[in-house]
Amino acid sequence: MTTLSVTINGRTYGPTEVRDALTMNDYLREYLGLTGTKFGCGAAQCLSCAVIVDNPDGTSYTSPTCIVPAASFNGKSIRTVEGHAKNGELSTLQKAFIDHFAFQCGYCTAGFLNESQALLERLARKRVPRAALEKTIAEALDGHLCRCTGYFKYHEAVRDVILADPQRYLV
Amino acid sequence: MRLKLRAKILSAVAALLAIAMTAPAVSDEAADNLAAPESFAAVADTAARSAALFTEAGKVLTHPRCVNCHPAGDRPRQGDARRLHQPPVERGEDGFGLPAMRCPICHQAANFEPAGVPGNPGWHLAPHEMAWEGKTLAQICAQIKDPARNGGRSLEDVVHHVAEDHLVGWAWAPGGDRRPAPGTQARAGALLDAWVKTGAVCPN
Repeated sequence: MTTLSVTINGRTYGPTEVRDALTMNDYLREYLGLTGTKFGCGAAQCLSCAVIVDNPDGTSYTSPTCIVPAASFNGKSIRTVEGHAKNGELSTLQKAFIDHFAFQCGYCTAGFLNESQALLERLARKRVPRAALEKTIAEALDGHLCRCTGYFKYHEAVRDVILADPQRYLV
Repeated sequence: MRLKLRAKILSAVAALLAIAMTAPAVSDEAADNLAAPESFAAVADTAARSAALFTEAGKVLTHPRCVNCHPAGDRPRQGDARRLHQPPVERGEDGFGLPAMRCPICHQAANFEPAGVPGNPGWHLAPHEMAWEGKTLAQICAQIKDPARNGGRSLEDVVHHVAEDHLVGWAWAPGGDRRPAPGTQARAGALLDAWVKTGAVCPN
């Protein structure tokens, strides 16, 4: 057993004693009822389970949760799909996903949303030339699987958000 | 007469079964073992002994536990079948993956067997110039001796890397149902040390 304390969407959970074999996905969904984070392939191959991990230095990255022990998140701060909207207002990215009809069944959406948000934050810290944008988006979303084939619509939605604020994201 | 025939048949079947059961075991043992450097003392010619030592160490260097992370392309391999890594990760600029998919995000400090994910604090790919996949042992040998293709290492550094590196050492204790590299890390290091001290001759 390991003691787990983790901040999720700004709220601290724990300390809680968890099994060493418990995955973060099970912790989120079964312990906390945060079912917005999906369980897909169980092998980090679809990334529907991805969440955002916030580093103390302000940087962030995404992590799958289905193959990663919950205990490894001890002391960390993460964001899940439940944390994007503020006071009932969808984020710019969420609105862009809707505007582009980017998802159908929605099972992959939480993962795409977190990955896209992490990309925006990465670009805000290190902007890229417009010529490199398509490749940058494609590489960021590359590992995420969508069986409804919404790839291009997700791509367009992210691109629109970036192009709407070029000074922030582009060189 | 019938009883004698039955006894002969039973004896033959038993012998066949014994061969069938022991043959693979002998074969596996040969593949999993690594001879000690001393066992090459009988090779009188120093150059030939040196090449033989490297050939023995080559059992490790060409083993999937090693080659899978010394891939020819930008994607690591997995398993004894050396299939492409799933999910489709890439080496990135520093060998630790692309910005959106870094190796240590999934590969934690230790194996996480409930999900079958191997782990080590330094999990990453060998640089592109150190790719071994698809190469002959002679090619790997020449590569290992070339600082431009061995990470800027001296031969002593190479020996130290194989004998002491923590990530390299994972290959001998991979956990789960993964097949370890042959022998031990210490013996692999000793073989390469003996190879260096005998002139670091490459096999043909």
